[in-house]
Amino acid sequence: MDYIVYEPNKNVKLGLKIWPAMFRELVGSRELIWRLFVRNWSAKYKQAVLGYLWAIIMPFIAIGTFVFLNRVGVLNIGETGAPYPLFALIGLTVWQLFATGLNSGCQSLVASGGMISKINFPIEVLVIASLAQAIFEFLVKFILIVIFFIVFKFIPAWTIVLFPLAIIPIVLLTLGLSLFFSLVNGVLRDTANAVSVITTFLMFLTPVLYPLKDKANLFFKFNPLAPLVVAPRDLIIYGHIKEPVSFLMASTLSILIFFICWRIFYLAKTKIPERL
Amino acid sequence: MPNTAIKAENISKKFSKSLNHVMLYGAEDVSKNIFGMPAPTDRLRKGEFWAVEDVSFQLEKGQTLGIIGPNGAGKTTVLKMLNGIFMPDKGRIELSGRVGALIQVGAGFHPMLTGRENVYVYGAILGMSKKEIDKKFDEIVDFAEIGDFLDAPVRHYSSGMYVRLGFSIAVHCDPDIMLVDEVLAVGDARFYSKCTAKINEMTTKDTTIVLVSHNMWLIQTMCDNVILLKDGNISKTGGPVECIYEYSESETVMLFASAQDKKNVAPIIIKNIVIQDTSGKVTEEVAPEEMVEVNIRYDSKQDKLKGVFFIRAATPAGYPLYTSYSKEVDINRGEGKCVVEVPSISLLRGEYRLWAGFSDGKDENTIYAAEQIKFKVSQSPDCPDPKFGIFWNKVNWQI
Repeated sequence: MDYIVYEPNKNVKLGLKIWPAMFRELVGSRELIWRLFVRNWSAKYKQAVLGYLWAIIMPFIAIGTFVFLNRVGVLNIGETGAPYPLFALIGLTVWQLFATGLNSGCQSLVASGGMISKINFPIEVLVIASLAQAIFEFLVKFILIVIFFIVFKFIPAWTIVLFPLAIIPIVLLTLGLSLFFSLVNGVLRDTANAVSVITTFLMFLTPVLYPLKDKANLFFKFNPLAPLVVAPRDLIIYGHIKEPVSFLMASTLSILIFFICWRIFYLAKTKIPERL
Repeated sequence: MPNTAIKAENISKKFSKSLNHVMLYGAEDVSKNIFGMPAPTDRLRKGEFWAVEDVSFQLEKGQTLGIIGPNGAGKTTVLKMLNGIFMPDKGRIELSGRVGALIQVGAGFHPMLTGRENVYVYGAILGMSKKEIDKKFDEIVDFAEIGDFLDAPVRHYSSGMYVRLGFSIAVHCDPDIMLVDEVLAVGDARFYSKCTAKINEMTTKDTTIVLVSHNMWLIQTMCDNVILLKDGNISKTGGPVECIYEYSESETVMLFASAQDKKNVAPIIIKNIVIQDTSGKVTEEVAPEEMVEVNIRYDSKQDKLKGVFFIRAATPAGYPLYTSYSKEVDINRGEGKCVVEVPSISLLRGEYRLWAGFSDGKDENTIYAAEQIKFKVSQSPDCPDPKFGIFWNKVNWQI
């Protein structure tokens, strides 16, 4: 028989016991996450003629722009190690996993406000389910990458099998930041707008559509996102990670951010339903 | 607490009135929690008020509790605290058993998805596994009577269908404690009776139920105990009838409220009403088949006042059951008496109101005076449980 107690500041009083509680709740919500993911996914494409193609159209436009700028010589992108459209597509695919994941995750709580204030369920599942949506779109784009391999007759390095592993840090970072900003967005609705603007801006400060020319590049040094985006691409194109130390550091930082943000979310989430 | 299902001790919840304060205090509370510090919940900051204050009650397994009160009294807030959606700002709630809640039907539905898809999504939100839903799926759909619409998007559903499906999913997750907010009101009569039958069935299986409703008949027949909330405080707890009396008395929506307000300027007042049995003894409790007399004493301030007397039996909540008018009379100044002979009171066991008054005619355009008394009807041997009706009738069985 379940025994439940509700009292003020319940999760804060848990102390260190909060960690087992967090893991238990997450494991117990697997099914719900899956259901909500399927729900969002089928609802999103139900009334769209082009359906899943939308996941592909956006990167096409972005890449097209850069290919054009490159051709007319406005931008000199330089040596990319692979045909430029392929290079850009891989970078953009990884980047959009972060950007769309963070943006939709950030809005997920407010978007389901009606539900949160009327039903009791672990609300972190909403954030996770919206990230799952971004991961799904990521997989769709990966099919496009494979098609590009064939079109450009490019043979990826064997280290492509490590690609999924190299993605994990950026996924954790996205989830951590989503949890945090969705919470803040619950109190302050400006958050989602700010996050959206900042991610757009950040893309240009991160070597997504251009290669790193100078290893001592300032943005690369202080932008933890850069190694997280570059390293998975290196694995496909070069067969090794060019900057393993910065990748390792950024990965450690991502994992740290994830756990800290998750804990913050769990501590403060009881305050959210009454703010929506 | 071996047999206790719900124990609420001094629970309170505060809200703030302005959006600025919501944001400011929200930021304060959340950032305190982030650093592992408790948020200041037990005192009011500027602009905050107690939406619910110091509410305590205890509920044994299998009992049904009704929560009544005017709009904004804090009924739904109490329910949301019991459900864990809102944490209490003061006090403590203990619950033992799986909790199911219907705060607002269809809150977890996605309008674009079909009924079938939504059953799985909503079921999962309420904590059911896919296996459980698979097993119960046919039962859920049968109960909801969705029929051909099962594979249509729920945004094409009528509001009744919405409620039916939501209610059906919620009750089929077999909760030990069921919290129901005013949701049954939307369904039609057929579904309403089906729901009440289902809730009755659940209570016999030891499900504990908390019911928030404005439907006093539902409260009166379903609940063992009632809490009357007013401005966030418990204004009365007790049996359903006493609380409903108290509630309808405190509300000015009562029958003939305007006539009672104008008492000092009325041309006639009803001085008192008594019910007497056949021996002439004044009584407050009568048997359903008993013959009684209602004695009305009035005092007219005017000569040649034209109108009709009437008596009306009503439920505790003020819902009229029957009315009888006298023929038109002219009354002279001074006190007088009028006697109404009632061959049988013809109501089932319970408590009722009896109104007596004087009005300008049978359409009651102007009610000059109206007063009420309460009376009880004792149990009738042929219908011991008044759950299934209000009226008693003399019948002859031939078997």
